[in-house]
Amino acid sequence: MIKTYKISISGQVQGVGFRPYVYNLAHQFLIKGTVSNNEVGVIIFISGEKSNSENFYQKLISFPPPVSKIQQSSIKEIEVIYFNDFKIIPSEKGGQLNLPLTPDFAICDTCKTEIKNPKNTRYNYPFTTCVNCGPRWAITQTFPFERNNTSIHKFTMCKPCLEEYTNPSNRRFHSQTNTCKTCGIDLFLIDSEGKTIETSSENLFKKTAKLLLEGKIIAIKNTSGYLLCCNAENSEVIQQLRTKKNRLNKPFAVLFPSLKHLENEIELNQQQIGSLTSSESPINIISTKNYIGNLALNKIAPRLNQLGVLLPYTGILQLIANQLSFPIVATSGNIHGSPIISKNNEALEKLQHVADYFLQHNLTIEHPQDDSVVKFSKKFQQKILFRRSRGYAPNYLNIKINSEEKILAMGAHLKSTIAFYPNENLYVSQYLGNLDNYDVYNQFCKTSENFIQLFEQQPQVILVDKHPLYQSTQYGKELAVKYHSKLIAIQHHKAHFTAILGEYNLFEEQVLGVVFDGTGYGDDTHIWGGEFFSYENKSIKRIGYLENFDWLLGDKMAKEPRISLFALASEEMKPILEEKFSPSELKNYAYLKSKNKLKTSSVGRLFDAVASLLNITDINSYEGEAAILLENSILGYNLKDCTLYCEVTSEGFSGKEILKNCYKDLQHGISKEDIIYNFLFTLASTILKFATEKGFQKIAFSGGVFQNTTLVDMLIELAPKEIKLYFHKELSPNDENISFGQIMYYLNIK
Amino acid sequence: MDIENIGFETINLGHGSGGELTRDLLDKIIFKTFSNPYLDQKHDGSIVKIEGEIAISTDSFVITPIFFKGGNIGELAVYGTVNDVAMCGAIPKYLSLAFIIEEGLKVSEFITVVQSIKKAADESGVLIITGDTKVVERGKGDKIFINTTGFGTMHPKANISVHNIKEGDKILVNGFIAQHGMAIMSEREGLEFESTIESDSTNLNFLVNDLLDEFGEKIKLFRDPTRGGLGTVLHEIANDISKGVFLKEAFIPLEKQVAAACEMLGLDPMYVANEGVFLMIVDPSIETEVLALMRKHTKGKNAALVGEITSEHPKKVVMESLIGGKRIVSPLVGEQLPRIC
Ligand SMILES: [Fe+3]
Ligand SMILES: [Mg+2]
Ligand SMILES: [Zn+2]
Ligand SMILES: [Zn+2]
Repeated sequence: MIKTYKISISGQVQGVGFRPYVYNLAHQFLIKGTVSNNEVGVIIFISGEKSNSENFYQKLISFPPPVSKIQQSSIKEIEVIYFNDFKIIPSEKGGQLNLPLTPDFAICDTCKTEIKNPKNTRYNYPFTTCVNCGPRWAITQTFPFERNNTSIHKFTMCKPCLEEYTNPSNRRFHSQTNTCKTCGIDLFLIDSEGKTIETSSENLFKKTAKLLLEGKIIAIKNTSGYLLCCNAENSEVIQQLRTKKNRLNKPFAVLFPSLKHLENEIELNQQQIGSLTSSESPINIISTKNYIGNLALNKIAPRLNQLGVLLPYTGILQLIANQLSFPIVATSGNIHGSPIISKNNEALEKLQHVADYFLQHNLTIEHPQDDSVVKFSKKFQQKILFRRSRGYAPNYLNIKINSEEKILAMGAHLKSTIAFYPNENLYVSQYLGNLDNYDVYNQFCKTSENFIQLFEQQPQVILVDKHPLYQSTQYGKELAVKYHSKLIAIQHHKAHFTAILGEYNLFEEQVLGVVFDGTGYGDDTHIWGGEFFSYENKSIKRIGYLENFDWLLGDKMAKEPRISLFALASEEMKPILEEKFSPSELKNYAYLKSKNKLKTSSVGRLFDAVASLLNITDINSYEGEAAILLENSILGYNLKDCTLYCEVTSEGFSGKEILKNCYKDLQHGISKEDIIYNFLFTLASTILKFATEKGFQKIAFSGGVFQNTTLVDMLIELAPKEIKLYFHKELSPNDENISFGQIMYYLNIK
Repeated sequence: MDIENIGFETINLGHGSGGELTRDLLDKIIFKTFSNPYLDQKHDGSIVKIEGEIAISTDSFVITPIFFKGGNIGELAVYGTVNDVAMCGAIPKYLSLAFIIEEGLKVSEFITVVQSIKKAADESGVLIITGDTKVVERGKGDKIFINTTGFGTMHPKANISVHNIKEGDKILVNGFIAQHGMAIMSEREGLEFESTIESDSTNLNFLVNDLLDEFGEKIKLFRDPTRGGLGTVLHEIANDISKGVFLKEAFIPLEKQVAAACEMLGLDPMYVANEGVFLMIVDPSIETEVLALMRKHTKGKNAALVGEITSEHPKKVVMESLIGGKRIVSPLVGEQLPRIC
């Protein structure tokens, strides 16, 4: 007997080839009906025998298309409908958008093979995509993900493309981003004067590769924004790029032509390979300890024994890579702290004095995104996100929220993101950057407004950080006036804590929160950053912290690790301070310290103090340099040889005591490396002891300090069996998670 | 003035009692110094003739220390108020002068202050026409507080108002910023910089007068960015007119040693106090002529264009930084420097 079923599927199911997949599956099962996208996902009506229909459903949800992610699915019998065949019916905008947006996908292997094959029609066509790959969020104008809602819309499919699009057996059946050389996006190479040098796809990539080999800097317009590229084996041109980009020491990422090439030069583990070749294709930070290639490492990543690497993840990068016999530097196309550039005229204007040539195309990028960055800890392969952007944004899928209110969270300041809850899904934007920069600020405002417009939902609640000087706080206030929303300020470290509680849904548990970072505005108006919180029963309490010390000289303290050393140093370290400061600095700072009222519990500054004490760095040339160099000064560790630098009290622990013991060891001729091990070991043991003494069995970690993978490894290794540790996995531990944390706080804390 | 003749070395409560000692103090120091026909009436107040619209401004001067490199509280009390009157587009004529003295102030110090007031008033072309002296118990003051009120007649060509400001108008300053704040800090806190920084405290009324003579209503605004510095004043303006202020860091006149001192203390010179500095917002058509005129004047030698009014980012101050890129100059919350005037 024929029965009819309605199947609803939600999750990341649009722009991922779901409907064509269903279509073909239905044909295999000889099932009749329809499939379409709607505002909540994919909706399927099928008519057939009961068992066959159920088998079809099981097969579909157990083996969905490769880049889709099903969050929820249901099958329900309805009144019988008789269908003649199985059809994909065009989606109609029936209501407000209520499904995850689709992130950008790295080019798939099949498309890669096609563009490499001289016999294929898409040979050398860089914008080759299929239902499984290509840009999505980067080109999204509105929803649902249909061609006419994206910036590819302006390219009309030619006959052969349209044939692919309408042929159920073709792998580009219903591929919204389908284009080819004839109908598609134009690519052209121009010089810094704007003069066209090359347009033929036959020569473009050869020419680009040749210029790179000759030591030129090329701004390449990718599908998510501009990249600045140069030969990574040529230290001269890398130095040029540093000077022109105003980027003294901050490491550059390196794009390898192929996985094989990369593996020939550096040893990778399975996690790293998996991550590098995933549909997100982030930059992976890997150790260069046993590196054997020709990279100009001391120019690419000065003083570091690690390197960010990535593989070609778009057609353009792949086609250039195919012509390369050497890796290239691939860094975001911008000037010092500005957002990644995505417009042609802007690129020419702002990068004119940086790049020698521009490889441009005429596809509009709606949502510029930087490359995402991950690192796996060495010993336990704990994955840590350093930057969550292309490939991950703008969804956060791992959560179910039930709230009537529409909530917009403005995040932090230096590593800003926005989180929005307009429907049943939660959206966390890509990393947007430092809001002191006016262009970043504009991008931030634009992204907020864009979210509001895209979902056609005005925020009823706006969440901001308690810090009165964050630009995000100020903009949140403006929006709250504009939309008549409730405005709520949430303490920075509590938001960090609820971010990690939210990632693992620990709101029914009793948890110790350990939030270590650089700075945040505390409830007591002092600067926090080394916090122990208890969570229980919808309530957070600050139950311990790093003993307060002086916060001196405003923002200068965060830029100059030597000032943290000054703030924490004891009398006996005077000779060291005298080496690091001029006599008048010492005199002035001593006076300011004697009068100072602003206190801090920042563990970030404790890291700085240790880095300065050990002469690793006194003045940062980029944000977080001291902490990165500190971790980099060590290779492996043996916990048995580590000694403890401080006692745990019921209130927390003391940075002064730690520093004093570092100094003592330094005087006794203990090596720098060993002192760093001891320091990290001390932090790890202190956390675990504190948890044990207070009777916690679950510890949740957040804050930038937990980007230190050695500390993370030590914690995992030292933790007794009965204690369970939680580290961020889908979000970064740094301030990028604040917007998400603010929403979690608002929804879960009394 | 000879201290021997005064007959006492420190000022005590008796000098504020209104009796013999008060008269002594007033006659021997104040009236003697400031003698002029109005003050010499020795009335409860002064009767003066002023025609037309007048500008009035008052300010109390509370500063530690009272003597600093490049000046003292006395001249500051004159210049501060004279400049405030001038900023209104007026020509300062008269000042009132009131002291609150803490018991124990050395007479010699008081005399120095009074003489500085006299010198500054003469230099600014204003007369002290009325005043008051009180003495408070030790610990209830801080050596000496001074209040002055200035009266000036409006310049006939002046039309100073934030409402006249338009997009594209230019923002100019007459010289180096942040000097006064850093000088006071160094003196008060005993802070040590690579070289001595002197306060730029001075009267600006004649330069302002010349500018008004020449350019009249093409000058939209004068402001002296004293407490809170240039940054704070520009924020106020941006908020008042709901327009943006766009600055170029490279244009802002800042002396090397002041920049170095700010850098050492982690201070942004945009928020450091000024005394001899004013900013003006003018019609773009007169920008070069204004600069030329100012640069000929002793008090405007280092005059510079620093930015302009824009409609691009209402209520925000944005600065193109030296290293490239634009940064948002955020409003000051709380005080970057301890309270000075
Ligand atoms: Fe933080
Ligand atoms: Mg005043
Ligand atoms: Zn593909
Ligand atoms: Zn085509």
